[in-house]
Amino acid sequence: MDSVDRYLKAVAKALPEAQREDIIRELSEDIRSEMEDKKAEMGRPLTEAEQEALLKQRGNPLLLAARYHQDDRRVAFGRELIGPVLYPFYIKVLSFNLGLTFVVIGTIFLALGVSGQPVRFGDILSSCLLQLFIQLGVVTLIFSLIEKHLTKHPDRWNLSGKCGAVQLDIGTGRNVSLPIERSQQISRFESVSIIIACAVALVWMTEVQNNPFLILGPAAAFLKLAPIWYQVYFPIVLLTVAEIVRATINLVRPDWTLFRGVYSLFVQFGGLAVVYFLIRAGSWVTAADSATGSAGGYAHAAQIVNQWIYYGLLVTAILSAVMLVARLTRLIRAPRHDAGSPRVSEAAKEGN
Amino acid sequence: MTPGTNNHDMFENLRLELRRGSLVLAVLAALRKEHYGYTLRKTLEEKGMAIDEGTLYPLLRRLESQGLLVSEWREEEKRNKRFYRLSTDGKVILKQLLAEWQSINSSLDGML
Repeated sequence: MDSVDRYLKAVAKALPEAQREDIIRELSEDIRSEMEDKKAEMGRPLTEAEQEALLKQRGNPLLLAARYHQDDRRVAFGRELIGPVLYPFYIKVLSFNLGLTFVVIGTIFLALGVSGQPVRFGDILSSCLLQLFIQLGVVTLIFSLIEKHLTKHPDRWNLSGKCGAVQLDIGTGRNVSLPIERSQQISRFESVSIIIACAVALVWMTEVQNNPFLILGPAAAFLKLAPIWYQVYFPIVLLTVAEIVRATINLVRPDWTLFRGVYSLFVQFGGLAVVYFLIRAGSWVTAADSATGSAGGYAHAAQIVNQWIYYGLLVTAILSAVMLVARLTRLIRAPRHDAGSPRVSEAAKEGN
Repeated sequence: MTPGTNNHDMFENLRLELRRGSLVLAVLAALRKEHYGYTLRKTLEEKGMAIDEGTLYPLLRRLESQGLLVSEWREEEKRNKRFYRLSTDGKVILKQLLAEWQSINSSLDGML
């Protein structure tokens, strides 16, 4: 019952955590009862396509899960931008982004403080507020576009999204195994989100060139980006544009999963090469020429920031290498999956 | 948006509003006899009150949290199922709601 497990997993993701197991257990029982009824009616087991059609009738898993939410929180400025279905995801993404940003800002100011530079509360506050407005604007824009799509096309969904390797014990006497699924169709939400995110990143990268404040905050008064960033700027832009091209192609042809797999492998390899050259550079920020005051102090501040960047790049390189190997392995194993489930692929195609 | 579409949407909203209250009554009435989710859905459908599972299960949870229903997981035909039935409070409320329903019904009959 692959499609049932995938459907339940999609619903589970959007359910309130406290009731998740109980709801999935009951929903699972309802689906299985309905399928057994159909089986008895038809006098034969249901095909995968027929199972998917029954699930399709139950509606978008996100919308189904939303009905179980007691709270009705939403984001609205005049008209509703983000409804209760997407609100929990919106909050999660926004919290993650802001948390990460504040950690980076905190690290920079901590490094400045440790190196003996004056750290003013006003500087911290202005950096945090600037990032807050940027993140709030971008994340809200992306989610309101997804919300618009969801409202306009509630029936456009399929069960072919990427799933994590999760096993849910739903207490029905056996574990519902929810293995890693190879995507049979790339979600259009995903493609649109990537295009928007990459476009925003391009604008930001261009602006950072002229305005290092956007990345260094107030530290830009006495620190500047090392020449290596200007050397890798073009390759990074090229990789970002390549990702936009790939997402645009997959927006038109969501069924080109093999294309995405191979293409992304090259893009990720390119990214890893950029990280390699960055690590080799050894220095990523230096004391700004315009900095007044203690030159030794600024050099010390740059040294501490460089130390943090070094660790950051190292972690990025390791994660990228692991992901690259995982992607390559998945790609090699992919044909066997395809041969095993042609009907699912067809049903998923119809769903979008 | 055409006036036709507008009227259709308006009718649909009002219809849903009208149905929402009746569904609670129908579910409470059906649960005078014990049911698990799927058979309850089938029973309601057979009586002309079709309800999709996305509406029924959240409603059952709400009614249970309000103390009108009680439920228990039990094995039947080698499968675990959650059985619902009216609680003592639920029986009292159902009686009051039915009286209210009949009063509304007779008032409307006099007007229509």
